[in-house]
Amino acid sequence: MPPPLIDVAGVTDAGTVRQYNEDTIACDAATGVMALADGMGGHRSGEVASRMAVDVVVGDLAGALAGLPAAADPEALAAAVQACMIRANAVVHAAAQASAVHYGMGTTLALAVFRGDRVVLAHVGDSRIYRLRFNRLQLLTRDDSLLRDQIDLGYIAAAEAVGTHNRNLVTRAVGIGAEVVPHLRDEAALPGDVYMLCSDGLNDLVDDADIELVLQTVRANVPLAAQLLVQAAKDNGGLDNVSVIVVRVDDRVAGAAHPSWWRRLLAWLR
Amino acid sequence: MAKLVLSSDGAIVFQCFVDDARLTIGRDPGSDVVVDDPAASPAHAAVVPVGKDHILEDLGSAGGTFVNGARIERHILQHGDTVVFGALHLRYVNPRASADVDLDRTMLIAGLQPASAAVEEAAGRSAESLRVPSAPAMRVRFPHAAVRFMRGPRAPGKRSLDRVVAAFGTPGTLLCVIVRRPQGFYLCHVEGRGRAKVNGKAHGAEPRLLHDGDVIDVADERVEFVAG
Repeated sequence: MPPPLIDVAGVTDAGTVRQYNEDTIACDAATGVMALADGMGGHRSGEVASRMAVDVVVGDLAGALAGLPAAADPEALAAAVQACMIRANAVVHAAAQASAVHYGMGTTLALAVFRGDRVVLAHVGDSRIYRLRFNRLQLLTRDDSLLRDQIDLGYIAAAEAVGTHNRNLVTRAVGIGAEVVPHLRDEAALPGDVYMLCSDGLNDLVDDADIELVLQTVRANVPLAAQLLVQAAKDNGGLDNVSVIVVRVDDRVAGAAHPSWWRRLLAWLR
Repeated sequence: MAKLVLSSDGAIVFQCFVDDARLTIGRDPGSDVVVDDPAASPAHAAVVPVGKDHILEDLGSAGGTFVNGARIERHILQHGDTVVFGALHLRYVNPRASADVDLDRTMLIAGLQPASAAVEEAAGRSAESLRVPSAPAMRVRFPHAAVRFMRGPRAPGKRSLDRVVAAFGTPGTLLCVIVRRPQGFYLCHVEGRGRAKVNGKAHGAEPRLLHDGDVIDVADERVEFVAG
């Protein structure tokens, strides 16, 4: 089954302070593969690590998706996504080990792969995947970050964490160790859903309420939504690299495949 | 390197470094920071280090713990925070922990809990409940403006442009947003074959900086932009 009809746009920006952009994004409506990576490491190694990881997953998935049977099979899809992330880890790790300059480099990685009426989400690190469904923003990923652990264990309440100094500490990344365990999640891609992948340069500076408002109001124009989100992060200080990928599952065309009661329900919920 | 400095009338009574171990604060002589004032409970508060944060926790003290005058149960200490116990002042000194957004690059650190598939799965599903506020936007000032509805479903009326975007027109037909930026407000085309009009002239694809008194027609809405 081909990917559903989706509208896709991605923007990546060095931000207002940093000289280099260590984020890498790839998004392709034809294959349904969205990848976003936020690299780390000295001497511009972050750029190398994020580029390497994205190239591996995009390349591997192109082959794997072509070999999958036509029917959307979430399990086979999830297995392919997991395999490509594990290989990305191995490739970045080997490169880091082989080079004195790039030793210790790593990267976060967030992936969304759309196929049929399903989407497989995967991530390592603190890059996030959100979804706007029925006009409500949901965070679909759990950050691999010290701050998140800190909140889960009750050291501090989420609302009290404004003044934290732990925003930049991730607990898991691609390329750091010989092995990595990615987080995987399979979801239904409903007509009208808007998925958004971002690096922490966005959610550290733009509140969820503002992200929600932008996606709600500008959902019809996916390139503008991505641009406005990055712009909002830069206008709020833009201290880090900022990357955003916005994907809208087409409601008009894809909705035609659903029974009329379903379309009426969607229309009513909106 | 962070420090706790206890002072009385400006004279330093005691000081110690805060490292990776928990510190107790109280009147009890066994406390790491002994606060010899009737306002302090024997076991009054503790400082718990987590990553680069030092979290001040009230230990159920009789008088409560006040940071810069505000009562707290738990608080992430910021450079310069002062806790008052009667005549004694306890100051947290850590130039690296200023309220400014952290400029440090992303780094890897060991997590706080063992990774278990079941826990991860459950936590992932409940992620929606977590709303960590974004970092305080320092030094960013947005201008003020409003729109006056002259025609359409929302007229007559006035609305402040106090969010990042505000939509005008009809979704699916012709929709525009006014985008709030530090340097001003911009009109932006979102969707529709038609074009909005600003002061009677068609608005193009490029964002347009709005001026006080501009009259904008979008679908069946007409609004006036009011700066200030």
